[in-house]
Amino acid sequence: MREKTTTLYLGPQHPGITGNMMVKLQVQGDTVVKAETHVGYLHRGFEKLMERRNWLQSFTIVCRICVPEPDPNEENYSRAVEEIEGREVPERAKYIRVMTLELARIATYLLWYGGQSGSAGLYTMGQWSVGDRNYILDLFEDLTGGRIYHMYIWPGGVRRDLPKGFKDKALRTMDYIEKRLDDYDKLLFENSIFQKRAKGVGIIDKKKAVEWGVVGPPLRGCGIKSDVRIDDPYEVYDKLDFEVPAMEGGDVWTRALIRRFEIRQSINLVRQALDKMPGGEYYNKIPNPHKWTIPAGDAFVKTESARGEFGYYMVSDGGNKPRRVHVKGPAYVHGVSLLENLLEGENIADVSFIMNSLGTCPPEIER
Amino acid sequence: MSENKLNKEQLLLDLLKKKFILNESAVRRAKRVEVKVDPKEIIPVLLYAKENSRYISFAHMSCVDWIEDGEFEVVYILWNPEDKINLFVKTRISRDNGVLPNIDFIWRQANTYEREIREMFGIQFEGLVGRQEFILEDWEHMPPMRRDFDTAEFVKKTYFKRPGREDAKDVREFVQERTDEELPDFAKKYSRD
Repeated sequence: MREKTTTLYLGPQHPGITGNMMVKLQVQGDTVVKAETHVGYLHRGFEKLMERRNWLQSFTIVCRICVPEPDPNEENYSRAVEEIEGREVPERAKYIRVMTLELARIATYLLWYGGQSGSAGLYTMGQWSVGDRNYILDLFEDLTGGRIYHMYIWPGGVRRDLPKGFKDKALRTMDYIEKRLDDYDKLLFENSIFQKRAKGVGIIDKKKAVEWGVVGPPLRGCGIKSDVRIDDPYEVYDKLDFEVPAMEGGDVWTRALIRRFEIRQSINLVRQALDKMPGGEYYNKIPNPHKWTIPAGDAFVKTESARGEFGYYMVSDGGNKPRRVHVKGPAYVHGVSLLENLLEGENIADVSFIMNSLGTCPPEIER
Repeated sequence: MSENKLNKEQLLLDLLKKKFILNESAVRRAKRVEVKVDPKEIIPVLLYAKENSRYISFAHMSCVDWIEDGEFEVVYILWNPEDKINLFVKTRISRDNGVLPNIDFIWRQANTYEREIREMFGIQFEGLVGRQEFILEDWEHMPPMRRDFDTAEFVKKTYFKRPGREDAKDVREFVQERTDEELPDFAKKYSRD
């Protein structure tokens, strides 16, 4: 006898969903037979807004495209403008940018710890890691004045130089986070509940991963060493020494391990960036923003964010406003075609678990 | 950039030039090759790039409205992970009834991009299967990312003040009334009429 198929609407308001989006599930018993992603609850029309604002005004809204990790947006926007305009960025600013991006990566992973373990019912982990994330937000507050949205990496360099005593504070914070990672291992990775939930769930086929457009930790979790920082180095990543972990498996467990190893690499990168940072200027001043025009041209730049490749396609018609800015976040692929595919045949209880492991972020899909 | 360093880029360009009719082509800078083709050449060029030149990764697809020329420019950006080169394939179609071939059988994720471009610009993709609605819901107006879509006008026509809020004021005006404080000049022009 055929089992009855029921429609289940997961979200847009649901504690397990990573933001305001809805997954329409067709379920038979506990098993998902079909999944459809529905977005549009967070569409703020950033790309349209940017067409009506000057180059600097547009910069102030890009960080709002991604709440947990706004810095890759700022960096992408700035680098695209600099590429079209041919503006040089001082070496010191490049090191500061790398340090900021890596701090943002650590903060995002700490938040991810909370989401991933919370969707398995392990809430203590999230309380610890999100608490520790606050120490990174403290650093951001010292550096930029803002805890979540920084508006710090802007065209021409960075907005402010490092404040007095920042280096020491940052290094001490890195030491603390590094020490805490062992506690996280005990709490999450050695926990048999997490192991049982994560192993063999949400498997991405290695052969199809590149073709499907998978990026970031989910791709490296399929055993493919791909990272924009190495493949197409930007800022000063080619001058720093770091490893990109890749492991075979393709399931939630492997993706979690990849992130765990990457935090250590990022801590190391922050230390290196602080250590090798040269003196000098931190900002190549832009002209009066109201009169600032960018020569006609286009650029496609990409950054490795904590969730994968973040890309900006930008077009200028020679005027004082962008002609077109098109943002492509990793969730654009992960949250729609890949998620719909992966959920088929999985258990209802694993839906938000898998979504967290892919880093699904709806504001990136609809912008 | 020295000649030697652009070897791989030039090689790809020569290959494409031999094989296809290109309207325009150039190595824009290191790691970036750009070709412009007619819409009917899109599928052959993309298939060739993927199967013969190892451009296996579909990085991005975007659309730009060149309203002055009465055309949309659609850009396909491919990435070769071995040679580390971005290939930009650009094509132009009419704004009025532009139709492009669907490419989601080459890269599955292109389906999402095409659905968005169909919704936001009104370009039809031949043979595209997928739910009509993506980001917008019950949208009956002009596709909103077109340059001639006036957002301010749309807001004026579509939205209204909630009953009981007709006298809603800018917070600065409210403060001014309460405290007799003079508004600075720069703030005045942003006040509502």
